[in-house]
Amino acid sequence: MRGSDTHVTDPTAGDRTTPGPSATAVRTEGLWKIYEQEPAPVEAVRDLSMEVRAGDFVAMAGPSGSGKTTLLNLLGGLTAPTRGRVWVAGRDLTELSGRELARLRLEHIGFVFQAYNLLPVLSAMENAEFTLLLRGLPTAERRERVRTLFREIGLDGLEDRRPGRLSGGQQQRVAVARAVVGEPALILADEPTANLDSATGDALLGVMERLNHERGVTFIFSTHDPRVMERAHRLVHLVDGRIESDVRPSGRGSTA
Amino acid sequence: MSGRVWWRLAWRNLGRNRKRTLITGAALAFGYLAAVVIVGVSDGIVAEMIDNGTSLLQGQVQVHAPGYLPERSLYATLGGDSGMALSPVLERLRELPGVTGAAPRVLGGGLVSAGSQTSGAVLMGEDPALEPRVSRLMAAIATGRAPEEGTRQVLIGSEMARKLGVGPGSEVVLVAPAADGSLGNDLFTVSGVYRTGVRELDAAYALLPIGTLQSLLALAPGRVHEIALGLSDPWTAAAVADSARAVLAAAGVPADVRSWPRFRPEIADYARLARASNWILIAIVFAMAVFGVANTMLMATFERRREFAVVRALGTTRSGVARTVVYEGLILGAFALVAGALLTAPILVWWHRSPPDMSFLYGGFTMAGALVRPVLRVQYSLEAPLLAAAALLVTAVLAAAYPAWRATRVPPADALSDR
Repeated sequence: MRGSDTHVTDPTAGDRTTPGPSATAVRTEGLWKIYEQEPAPVEAVRDLSMEVRAGDFVAMAGPSGSGKTTLLNLLGGLTAPTRGRVWVAGRDLTELSGRELARLRLEHIGFVFQAYNLLPVLSAMENAEFTLLLRGLPTAERRERVRTLFREIGLDGLEDRRPGRLSGGQQQRVAVARAVVGEPALILADEPTANLDSATGDALLGVMERLNHERGVTFIFSTHDPRVMERAHRLVHLVDGRIESDVRPSGRGSTA
Repeated sequence: MSGRVWWRLAWRNLGRNRKRTLITGAALAFGYLAAVVIVGVSDGIVAEMIDNGTSLLQGQVQVHAPGYLPERSLYATLGGDSGMALSPVLERLRELPGVTGAAPRVLGGGLVSAGSQTSGAVLMGEDPALEPRVSRLMAAIATGRAPEEGTRQVLIGSEMARKLGVGPGSEVVLVAPAADGSLGNDLFTVSGVYRTGVRELDAAYALLPIGTLQSLLALAPGRVHEIALGLSDPWTAAAVADSARAVLAAAGVPADVRSWPRFRPEIADYARLARASNWILIAIVFAMAVFGVANTMLMATFERRREFAVVRALGTTRSGVARTVVYEGLILGAFALVAGALLTAPILVWWHRSPPDMSFLYGGFTMAGALVRPVLRVQYSLEAPLLAAAALLVTAVLAAAYPAWRATRVPPADALSDR
């Protein structure tokens, strides 16, 4: 499926002492996440260190329970690591307060969820501009940015529809627009194609590839979808909370 | 700037489950209605007590000569032994804001006899033209009519009439110690019999024309024991008493001026107790509403757990999440308030104008010495609706507070993990 992969460990992963250089979007160091539960604690992420360069298009694969979603949570500052450190946009998330983390997510991180997670009481336009609203951008600027993006990703004319009146693919594109519109350094996408048929999933991947290529947005996916893995520039395979393999298939991406 | 988004979300979230929102809002609106009506009925009973306790005989403000009370000496008349020029003082008292009437009175103790029957009596001399503006005793005449000035007529209560076995047209003898040391006595004709329903009143008072009683008690025409004032609003009595003191001081008449809470302290105490009870009732009504509304809002926030996680993941602070839930409470409260006010206002007006007469269940009764008719008239003022409105909004916010706090505790990670 992945063709003649060239097994290349990410070259940027060598620098462990200087957190957050300008070309680094994300970096982790000795990351652990242990869930205390009965009958025994669960080590969802174990001593994981990695680095993702700005503008990369990374897929994290692995079986259920391998720690993909937990890792996304840690990278997005949605949950705190038990041990270790995470840097995003040059900032150590473990040293930020809840308010600072919220601010960092708002300004530097976009999320795309498997179940779209649009707010059902807001229109497509309002959902997409939500983070811009939180950032206090003027209405005209917000609307212009969203309209431009909607034209790019084929949502033109659907601005006033509520999520309930959009197809799954359309909803996921609105979710992508919401994640991208604030021009974050990093977009974390959790199984973004899982609920989509293959044609819609392909189209959505095309949208994200284009945004990655044209806008330089860094994408990190958790996925089971072979199509995502095929198109990723870098493929990280997780097993039992550890990186089993970290490869950059030849011919994909230009940053490795 | 971003504050508007929380209002918008709150508003639209309320529209998601309209039935639930309507039921919750209706609970608050009916709570408002209940609170205002309960307070209105209670205020109505108090108003009835004050009215009957003061307007039936005493008036809401009384003026006496210093030292007249409590012994009620026959000699302690206003203006001293020479009396006072009544008309100009009465005129100035009547001109005070809120005063509906001012009536002079002569008071004395005596005996009323008919045949072998004798009854002790408070003899009260009153001006038939002025007294009806201050008290309602004349309006309580059951048979006969009021005594006429310049005649030897007396109006007695129904209990006294029963005891003496007399009625209108009967002759009675009045005996009373006079100011000149003699024993005044004369034959009088019963002009009528009044019935107030207050047994003590109906047994004790005998009303005569003021000039007739002054003559019987050997008092000069300018000598009176009391000036009673009637007020349009009994709660202004203290302020009117202050003004009356100034009028009398300006007229050079030394006077002891008292408002009804001083000479009917039991009614004032009951009114204060009722008022305190009103606030407790409002608190109970809305405390019950708090739990109902909080329960509903909590359910609504549980249902939106994922959404709270999502907005947190997108960069919303905890306070942003809390605000949207609290704003929902506020909007719900505001609509419930409008609905409650629209519902309550016509009911209050109707209930005030057409109070249910419960006399088919029980007759009138006395409370704190005042007659209370079994007519449940609601009394309304701005105070209770405003207080209930404030209580409703506080209730709505309090009911939202716990759900809001719970919403802030939703971990943002649930946006990814809660499938």
